[in-house]
Amino acid sequence: MASGLQNPTSTWELVSGQYYRKFTVFTPSWTQDEDFNLDDYLVAGAPFGGALALWKDPRKFHAYQGGQSAKPNIIICNLAGGLLRRITWDRGAIQAIGWSDDEHLLVVTTDGSVRCYYDLQGNFTQFSLGADAEEHGVVSCRFWGTGFVALLANNVFVAVNRYDEPRPRPLALPKLPSSESKIHSWALIPPNYSDSRHVEVIMATDQTILIVDATESQDQILQNGPFHHISVSPNGSYVALYTGDGKVWVIDVKFQQKLSEYDSGKLHEIPLDVQWCGIDSVVLVWEDEVHMVGPAGAALRWYYDSRVNLVPEMDGIRMITTEKCEFLQRVPDVTKSIFEFGSSSPPAGLLEAVGYLERKSPKADDAIQLIRPSLPEAVAACVQAAGHEFDVDWQKQLLKAASFGKSVLELYNSDDFVEMCKTLRVLNAVRFYEVGFGITVDQLERLTPDKLIERLVARQEHLLALRISDYLSLPTDKIYIHWACMKVKLSVDDEDTICRTIVMKLSGKRGIAFDEIAKSAFEEGRGRLATQLLNYEPRAGRQVPLLMSMEEDEIALDKAIESMDSDLVFYVLLHLKKKLPIATFFRIINDRPLAYSLIETSARNIDTELLKDLYYQDDRKSDGANVILRESLMQENFTTRIDKLKLASKLLKDSKEHALDASALEESIKLLTMQESLERDVFEETFVGLSLNDTIFKLTRLGFHPRANKIRSEFKMPDKRFWWIKLRGLVAKREWAEIEEWSKLKTSPIGWEPFFNECLSAGNTKVASIFIPKCRNLGHAERINMWVQCGMIVKAGEEALLAKDYNSLESLLPKATGAAVPEIQKMMQKLRPGR
Amino acid sequence: MVAERATEFDPSKIKDQALRDLCNVLEGVRGKKSLVVDKALSGPLGLIAQPSLLQDYGVVQLHWIEDDNIDYTASKNILYIARCTAKNAYSIASQIKNAPRIPGQDLEHSLFFVPRRTPLCDRILEDEGVFGDVTINEYPLYFIPLEPDILSLELDDAFEDLYLHKTYTSIFNSAKALMLLQQQYGLFPRITGQGDKGKKLLDALLRMRNEAAAEDASTSMALAPSSIIENLVIIDRETDFVTPLLTQLTYEGLIDEIFGINNSHVELEASVVGTAMQGPTETTGRSVGTAPAAPQGKKRKVLLEGSDRVFTDLRNNNFSAVPAILKKTALRIDADFKKKDDYKTVSEMKTYVTKVLGPAQKDRTSLSMHFNIAEIIQKHINTELFEKTLEVQQSLIAGYSSTQQHELMTELIARGASLETVLRLLCLYSCVSTGFKPKDFDLFRREILQGYGYEHVLTLDALDKVALLQSRTVAGSAAAAATRTNYDYLRKPLRLFSESVNESDPDDIVYVYSVYAPLSVRLVQCVIQKSAVAQAARGGGSLNPNSAGWKGFEDVVKNVGGKTFDEVQKGEDKAVRARMILDGQNEKKITVVFFLGGITYTEIAALRWIAKQEEGKRQIIIATTGIINGNNIIRAATTAARTKPRQT
Repeated sequence: MASGLQNPTSTWELVSGQYYRKFTVFTPSWTQDEDFNLDDYLVAGAPFGGALALWKDPRKFHAYQGGQSAKPNIIICNLAGGLLRRITWDRGAIQAIGWSDDEHLLVVTTDGSVRCYYDLQGNFTQFSLGADAEEHGVVSCRFWGTGFVALLANNVFVAVNRYDEPRPRPLALPKLPSSESKIHSWALIPPNYSDSRHVEVIMATDQTILIVDATESQDQILQNGPFHHISVSPNGSYVALYTGDGKVWVIDVKFQQKLSEYDSGKLHEIPLDVQWCGIDSVVLVWEDEVHMVGPAGAALRWYYDSRVNLVPEMDGIRMITTEKCEFLQRVPDVTKSIFEFGSSSPPAGLLEAVGYLERKSPKADDAIQLIRPSLPEAVAACVQAAGHEFDVDWQKQLLKAASFGKSVLELYNSDDFVEMCKTLRVLNAVRFYEVGFGITVDQLERLTPDKLIERLVARQEHLLALRISDYLSLPTDKIYIHWACMKVKLSVDDEDTICRTIVMKLSGKRGIAFDEIAKSAFEEGRGRLATQLLNYEPRAGRQVPLLMSMEEDEIALDKAIESMDSDLVFYVLLHLKKKLPIATFFRIINDRPLAYSLIETSARNIDTELLKDLYYQDDRKSDGANVILRESLMQENFTTRIDKLKLASKLLKDSKEHALDASALEESIKLLTMQESLERDVFEETFVGLSLNDTIFKLTRLGFHPRANKIRSEFKMPDKRFWWIKLRGLVAKREWAEIEEWSKLKTSPIGWEPFFNECLSAGNTKVASIFIPKCRNLGHAERINMWVQCGMIVKAGEEALLAKDYNSLESLLPKATGAAVPEIQKMMQKLRPGR
Repeated sequence: MVAERATEFDPSKIKDQALRDLCNVLEGVRGKKSLVVDKALSGPLGLIAQPSLLQDYGVVQLHWIEDDNIDYTASKNILYIARCTAKNAYSIASQIKNAPRIPGQDLEHSLFFVPRRTPLCDRILEDEGVFGDVTINEYPLYFIPLEPDILSLELDDAFEDLYLHKTYTSIFNSAKALMLLQQQYGLFPRITGQGDKGKKLLDALLRMRNEAAAEDASTSMALAPSSIIENLVIIDRETDFVTPLLTQLTYEGLIDEIFGINNSHVELEASVVGTAMQGPTETTGRSVGTAPAAPQGKKRKVLLEGSDRVFTDLRNNNFSAVPAILKKTALRIDADFKKKDDYKTVSEMKTYVTKVLGPAQKDRTSLSMHFNIAEIIQKHINTELFEKTLEVQQSLIAGYSSTQQHELMTELIARGASLETVLRLLCLYSCVSTGFKPKDFDLFRREILQGYGYEHVLTLDALDKVALLQSRTVAGSAAAAATRTNYDYLRKPLRLFSESVNESDPDDIVYVYSVYAPLSVRLVQCVIQKSAVAQAARGGGSLNPNSAGWKGFEDVVKNVGGKTFDEVQKGEDKAVRARMILDGQNEKKITVVFFLGGITYTEIAALRWIAKQEEGKRQIIIATTGIINGNNIIRAATTAARTKPRQT
């Protein structure tokens, strides 16, 4: 063993076959202050070795200290006691304080108002838990990584799932066994561990336990209550219950199986707190007495001089007292395998070997050869164990061992080794007492280095954050942005100097959101600086919101247009329309086509008056008339419909270029009026809304020929079109006699083929055939085909005979039946006698 | 094997991601929930998930946003999924405001905006006073793979947005979607394209790329030029309105023209579908519980896609080749059934049943449906109206414009042909002949107004604004010249018109319209298949097939409407090298063809034909804002005129 090093096992204690270690991570600086007593405070600790929030315990009497302000403070400090921020509280009685995974501080007051301090600088957002909370008051809160649940005095649980857009939602009402039932204790299962993927509450009432989620409350039907404490393990799989007779039960979260039981022997003293230490042991605290219950129900006990505050972590538990800040965890398996007394595991051997090597003893080689077959695993174990050590010297010793081991190996992938060296450098840097993180290697892995850097930045440790980011090849943009924002807020230099400093430092860096920096400048009231900085922002879209709040409306609009995001442009326009007089608004959109189109299109659906104004001031008569035309189409009332049309046509009349449209509208008025009177004359038929052609068609189909004729001449309908419509109308009416009659009177301007086709497709071959001889413009072949289509083979034959077309005749023969056959044959004879 | 993965272009990943995201959306609200969906999203969501998924995730009722009959007692959780439009935000706000207050049970509204949450919608909800009552999230749904080679944004209103309203929301959305591709596969090394709106898309892409580079240091590597994608070709619909105006003549195109295909689904009479295709075909996504009962009668929705082998064989062929293929398929299936005699042992029989018999039975059901469809199509194209329409179209395309076409068009109006048919012809005329003579223009306007109603003043106005139907005084002006495509010039160098194509075994893309090669696809060929174009036009040319961009066709694109662009995207040397090492160098390159403003099934068929020619050398991925046809275009313009009286 290397000399001068304290054996790591000195902090170990054995419980039912498992080692646990409890060691001091920091001796907080408040120990220097004789007046300070942590017992006067309530303590909430952020997960992953983050900050502590201390506030005076309202249930305790405090000695009056003259000179201090009467307003209570919330002290935020790191684990080493270093003060990060003192928040003067002015908002009413604090009911609970908690942290999120992002190290946002949540302060909940009795009347249900919540503040979320999103940086460690005292800036906050605020929201309320709702009227219910205000009326009944908040009794207690439980927090998880991204949200919390509050219990109100009327036994309603209110959940908040996120802090960026908090929406407090009540959970289902707990089905209490009786109206007198009280809630003895409760805990929550975070969404990421619950079956429903939403937060669930476990609560003890009367003898039993209820599980409550957003939709229902489920009784687990237990008999052994009341349970004074409930605690859910960090992995959400087990629940620890503290029973009324001083026992701790560990049960699986489904309440199916009791895993262990421990009798604390304290029948009448309910512990202050019950929390999990990792996932296999439970810690109970009575003021200054601590029991740790291991997996099999055996326990360790410690006694302290002051009250112990517990901060659970994923892999252990923090115990914070006036004297020290300790960490208790199960000894990691690799560490155990190396340091356990009498261990002969390969990594232990490797560690021994490096000890010999340091003492230049030849036994080093022997030791190595002894474990040769499992050397790769030994190296890996030493690397891992180094990560678990807080003592830098032991880290070094273990890495040395690993290094020695890998030098003996022929092939070794050093990635893990290098990675661990890097990680340890980062861990040691943040464990430095001035930085004050008490984070373990497993916690860092869960938290991720990115988040660690965020936390450093929040503590204004920009340089350290930057060094670590560079060292780990992580993006540095956020660090620079934060630094610049702080510079803008805190610097006493003049604006030009600040701008120059920032730009100089940040130029050439990727991903710098100048809009954020400009925003902080604007919030500090440094408008000009904000404008200057904003010009460096390459993303046009991101400049828009700030420009809008800076009332640089037109620039905001132009930047939005530049971004090509139509929705963003419309967003700015909506804002401008509300804010500006309409004339100014029109002036602004007039020379910006995209803005104009957007307003035009949206107004068409939502605000036609605006559209009319717009067209009026632009003198776009035809468009204006179209708006009114569209309105007229939406009118059910006949008179208003006509009035609107008149208005539209009047608008167009003045200008020459729209003469046609104007006359079309007038025609439409005329047609509508006629249709209306038709409807009065012809019952149960609709005409209004039909087109001119359809009106005439319908009249023909109904047999009102004089009326059809009248309208036709009123509108000067061309002959051809009228003939077509009339033909279709008559065919639709199946008025065959009328068609024949009509065709005799006049020569058709559309020829007779349409007559044939229409009648044929209506199925009347007889009438259709009448028109075949009239189709003189067609060739005989076509006419033959027409006869065939009518099924008149003999007639077709005659046509062929007339044209002396023997081939056609021949092809007709197979189509012929009955008497037609000899007829055709006769004709064929006529053309080719002798066959 | 990072390199292996990056060399594959795998659109199914996009679909999987979309489905996973949807599950997260549904899971985001605990327990039973009422789902209220934007109607415009129902189709796209139906492509991602089966309706049963909704039930699995506790959806008890499904409504459209416009519905006002939500049963608030069914569940206290109301989940909205809607596109992030102002209109939707207003509708949802008013729905939340009007929801009944049941004492003791507070409704919980959650809202997912697609594809992103915007400050605009937040602001509207805030102004309407419901911001605090609703949890707002986003569901980033961009490209949806319709087929392994088609990515569509399925934006129904992209055409109006781009060319009529000019609000360009779809340009931004397209750019975002393409950026996602770039983030996954690397930058498009070259972006070539045509059209003013296409240029805007390019600008948006370049801007987003710069912003992404400024955003985050870690993306610089991802934003090196891709080594598997060779280029992106952007075709702005505006450069070629003619193609969609023509009647599509491929099988799938005709189904779209006659029945209408929406989000890959076609609605058919139950008798056409046949009996065996029940159950899974009704994937319309609205059959949960008390879903709003659509008056469907005996209509059935059928998904048309590549897993249907019979349809795959048919879809891209000219309809004239379809009967022969159907017959061949029938024989093949028959043979499959007869194969059973070849299998003797039990295990052989087992293979036969699963490998041969199963698919053959599926094919047979599908075949009978396609026989029915083909029969209806055949009937339709035999009508005189169809023949005459086609006649006008083909003579216009060939460049014969005479009074005869005018006559035919007036006749069609007098005969009561559908407004879409007539307007498509008129627009076609206007596009190929630089507008109507003022006298004719007035004449046809009158014909339309008298034939279809005076409200179509609005339609004609809209078509004028889109530059589809114009008078020569406007269309021929110097201002319009820059955006106008000169078909008269292009007909020859690009050989747009040809009467000598074999429709069943085509040697050129002309086959898709029987006599016309879609200009849009010719333009794509100008970029990626230069020699083929030269060969089609001049019988072989001296073009270097390896030259990139528009090279060799500078004169051609000068006569195509809108701006021409050809942008090379370079990355930092270090990043380029890193990506090359990561992806490896592979021979087969991918071309992404993006149709801004929509693509027709015929164009897809033509692009697939090209892809087949290039097989082994190049893969073509078609991306678009949505699939359109001429009727959609006309309908976009007629919406204003179709306003109904307000129900009071």
